[in-house]
Amino acid sequence: MRIKGKSLKENLTGYLFIAPQLLLFLVFVVYPIFEGIRLSLYKINYQQETFIGFENYSRLFADDVFVKSTLNTVIFVILIVALTVVFALFVSASIFDKNAKYVSFIRGSYYIPVMVSMVVMSMIWSFLLNPANGLIPYAARQMEMASVNFLGDTTLVLPVIIFITFATNVGSAIILYIAAMIGVPKDVFEAAEIDGASRLKVIFKILIPMVKPTTIYIIIMNIIAVLKIFVVIQLLTGGGPNNASTTLMYFLYNNAFKYNQLGIASAVGVIMFLIALVLSIPQLRAMFKKD
Amino acid sequence: MFGRRNKNKKKLEKIDIIFNGLVIFFAALNLFPLYWLFTSSLKNSSDVVKMPPDWFPKSITFSNYVDVFNNQPAFRWAFNSIVVSLVSTIALIIVSCLAAYAFSKLRFRGRNVIFIIFISSLMVPKEVMIVPLFRIIQDFGMVNSLNGMIWPNVATAFGVFMMKGFFDSIPDSLRESAKIDGASEFTVFYKIMMPMVKPGIGALFILNFVQVWNDYLWQLVVGQDESSKTLMVGIATLMQDLNPNFAYKMAGATVAAIPMLVIFIFFQKYFTSGISIGAVKE
Repeated sequence: MRIKGKSLKENLTGYLFIAPQLLLFLVFVVYPIFEGIRLSLYKINYQQETFIGFENYSRLFADDVFVKSTLNTVIFVILIVALTVVFALFVSASIFDKNAKYVSFIRGSYYIPVMVSMVVMSMIWSFLLNPANGLIPYAARQMEMASVNFLGDTTLVLPVIIFITFATNVGSAIILYIAAMIGVPKDVFEAAEIDGASRLKVIFKILIPMVKPTTIYIIIMNIIAVLKIFVVIQLLTGGGPNNASTTLMYFLYNNAFKYNQLGIASAVGVIMFLIALVLSIPQLRAMFKKD
Repeated sequence: MFGRRNKNKKKLEKIDIIFNGLVIFFAALNLFPLYWLFTSSLKNSSDVVKMPPDWFPKSITFSNYVDVFNNQPAFRWAFNSIVVSLVSTIALIIVSCLAAYAFSKLRFRGRNVIFIIFISSLMVPKEVMIVPLFRIIQDFGMVNSLNGMIWPNVATAFGVFMMKGFFDSIPDSLRESAKIDGASEFTVFYKIMMPMVKPGIGALFILNFVQVWNDYLWQLVVGQDESSKTLMVGIATLMQDLNPNFAYKMAGATVAAIPMLVIFIFFQKYFTSGISIGAVKE
């Protein structure tokens, strides 16, 4: 009897401690997920909601802009993640065993664009790329290149957005890799040194395999981050020209807040939610194995 | 470190030097847009569009900054950003520490299941549920209010995940001996545990403050009228402004960037430790 009373009290204390977080979580995370799924099955006109089953979804797949946005998002994800991993590995493998001040200086230099936010970076890039008076079109004209309208050209706009997003966000991956590489036991390198392994060999045969868990983490976190890419599209291209740079998140936003197509927007949200969930399963598994 | 005392060190060093040369070159290239931002904001409106450009501003003027604060409610935007970032971060720290302490030190039914559900939510961006989230905010009457920006931010499980690691590192015996002395659970939490996780709270504070400050989409959706715009949303409207004066727009962007740069310069170690917490280590 006493034991039961004690465990009841302990239960209650636990619940009280998690109550504020749990309440916020239920209201702003759990409920929106279920409500989002429900809304995706409705046609919504202002106050009126009509149940239409999966019609929003079938309309989506027949919509060229949606298909284009999905395609663009996939291209963004693959290229940005690949660039990020390769470049971050290159930078961190080059500097991780150097003087601490140098490491923190380089790390800082690459992380500062992450700090100052995508909004500010988008503004700078829009200035740099401005066809009339931007520095980059000016340089392109000096080199007598054909196109100077980088954001107005359907073939150039994707590479430009990919580059800007990559350059603004690669800093986090560099921080993660440097932390992981500094954590690799020193005697591994000493053994390689005695064997006369070249630096390139050490990087490819020891360093990169040793930081594999970090690589998986970076890949998953970046896929999810790129999935919701929005600011740079809204501020630089508005999805154009001719939807060449529209992404899923931008498509969702337009449907929700410009065209008042809440059912359609919810269906896009549900699709993105499922993608993020599936992608995160390996990462979640790794996180729980640790406990 | 390696190769230094080795016989074939010349060749090794060479590749290392080339790599590091490239790393420094790319770092400079990476910082150039920010350099261009600052110097452009100090130029006058005709010099900023001059081609060929002035790599260093010929004459420095602060009039663009004066204009931003005179022509735009920039103080109001900055005030809103500070309130939203500060209040949501403090609230996040309070609710996260309470919950993280419970998940780390208390035994209660359903603890593991609830924790797993919490952590799983970390992987799903809240932006994808923006429609139902906006409707909730509407139902609460929080559109165009800072409250509407604050509370969904506090609902993230990131703080719980991060702080649980810090509570886990404190031995249970500390809690047990305090309990034997008759301390209540809350006293143990508040008087003994909280001071011990201060480094974690510091890192969480900085990371979350910066994240909320730099958030854009949600603040754009919730803060639609002039009085509830935040700095990020406000300066983004500057950009869509038809005013052709780029120096002026760059001054606005600089105003939004400077607080984050200052925070980064003073608290770099918090970022490097905080960001690595989520990563899996072997």
